[in-house]
Amino acid sequence: MRDSEHHGRALAARLDEAQSTGIPIEDSTDFERLSLDEAYRMQHCLIRRRAERGDGPVGVKLGFTSKAKMLQMGVDTVIVGSLTSSMLIEDGGSVSLDGFIHPRIEPEIAFRLGADVDLDGDDAALLNDIDGVAPALEIIDSRYAGFAFTLSSVVADNTSASAFAVGPWQRFNRDGDLENRAVRLVVGDTVRAVGSTAAILGNPSRVLPFLLRAARTHGFTLNAGDVILAGAATAATPLVEGFAEARVAGLGRTAITVEGVSRG
Amino acid sequence: MTRDNVTPDSAIEKAAERLKTAEQTKLACPPVRDLLGDTDLSAAYAVQKMLTRSRIAAGSRVIGRKIGLTSQSVQRQFGVNTPDFGVLFDDMIYGDGEHVPFDRFLKPRVEGEIAFVLGADLPSERTTLVDVLRATEFVLPAIEIVDSRIEGWDIHITDTIADNASGGAFALGTTPYPILGVDLTEVGMVLEHNGQPVSTGAGVACLNSPALAVAWLAREVAARGDHLCAGETILSGALGPMVSVPGPGRYRLDLSGLGHVEITFTGEESVS
Repeated sequence: MRDSEHHGRALAARLDEAQSTGIPIEDSTDFERLSLDEAYRMQHCLIRRRAERGDGPVGVKLGFTSKAKMLQMGVDTVIVGSLTSSMLIEDGGSVSLDGFIHPRIEPEIAFRLGADVDLDGDDAALLNDIDGVAPALEIIDSRYAGFAFTLSSVVADNTSASAFAVGPWQRFNRDGDLENRAVRLVVGDTVRAVGSTAAILGNPSRVLPFLLRAARTHGFTLNAGDVILAGAATAATPLVEGFAEARVAGLGRTAITVEGVSRG
Repeated sequence: MTRDNVTPDSAIEKAAERLKTAEQTKLACPPVRDLLGDTDLSAAYAVQKMLTRSRIAAGSRVIGRKIGLTSQSVQRQFGVNTPDFGVLFDDMIYGDGEHVPFDRFLKPRVEGEIAFVLGADLPSERTTLVDVLRATEFVLPAIEIVDSRIEGWDIHITDTIADNASGGAFALGTTPYPILGVDLTEVGMVLEHNGQPVSTGAGVACLNSPALAVAWLAREVAARGDHLCAGETILSGALGPMVSVPGPGRYRLDLSGLGHVEITFTGEESVS
């Protein structure tokens, strides 16, 4: 037992190191062998390491939020990762390509929690705790070479979470219709992806019951002020130098500047 | 119109014959690019025109046009930087909620679009966006059923143009919407199969705006010696990826702010 704990901490350290050095893990076999429970425990271990450095949790992000992706990965639920304070890029702010391994960017919908969530509440409870919604950009960056992962290895790797930006918050109207809003992603001055919020389980609000159940099962807490990235509205596209913007019809936009790798 | 590459009339006739036989027998044929080459778009449109005349002679009526290859990704895939167009006939149209026999197609695929219904002619080779907006009487949500008479959808640009831009059939919603004050680029699109989203997108994916696609069509049709007329229905191009129809089943299209349309494919389960 102590051996396996030691082994787990060593694996988490490898992920932490890959993230901080920008050097990917070539052989991810050890991570693919984990059970789903072990993978989530490793993710929590990774996040504790970050918190100890003053980089505390600020929310969660969801992955596999389309039936097609679930089918492809052989699962029937979403996966959850943790957002930490250092991942947040200010709306209109900038981020450097330095330090990423092979970053990709995708347009998302973000929810904000207005209250601490009672994880034992019924499925609808989480919807009542949402007090804001906003357009968002997420940068994902697998710590594994070639962006190659399995369900367990990606969960251990904090679901490839890397950075995010959130646009101005709008009041969330429970009956508000988030289900089919046009979404466009501009990267480096070109429209790179076009989609609809319907790509997120038909309606982004539908991820919330999945999140509540996953939080209960896999040891996440959901607190007032937390950001929830609900999932990608289009396929991810490589992050390149220049301008990146997510625009959601009727909801607004968020934009960042991406700076090139410093040569020095 | 002069043609850069001169494809012999006999090749055009052979290509038309091959496609016509495939349509009649429901047995897909080999591509026609062996006859037309890969670059002579005028020859491919000549084949299309020959097939159109033959359908009209058999009693079909032209009710509009469809625009194809309107997304950057599809154009890149075909190695072209232009859309293409085909003809819509009265025997291709379905209404909201209607049943569509699966076996009328060879390998059908569906996509979500905005249909423009014209209230005025657009005769000019120099038709502008403003001309299109003024001529548009209303728009409708449309599910286009594309199909290819060519084996395994093994198509290059001349194959699809000759084959009526891979047109099959289409279904229209029943509530007309005016476009005044509507940002067509920001219309969200979701196409569901048996209740699950299978294709999502938005207006901007269609040549930056479906209205710009219609302006392109008006110019292109005029340049090829014909023109768009009042009363015609224009399928302006896909707002998201097209998806294969594996067999009988229900498809529903929702366009944000512009309504919905659904169809059910009926018939035997597909064997392939």
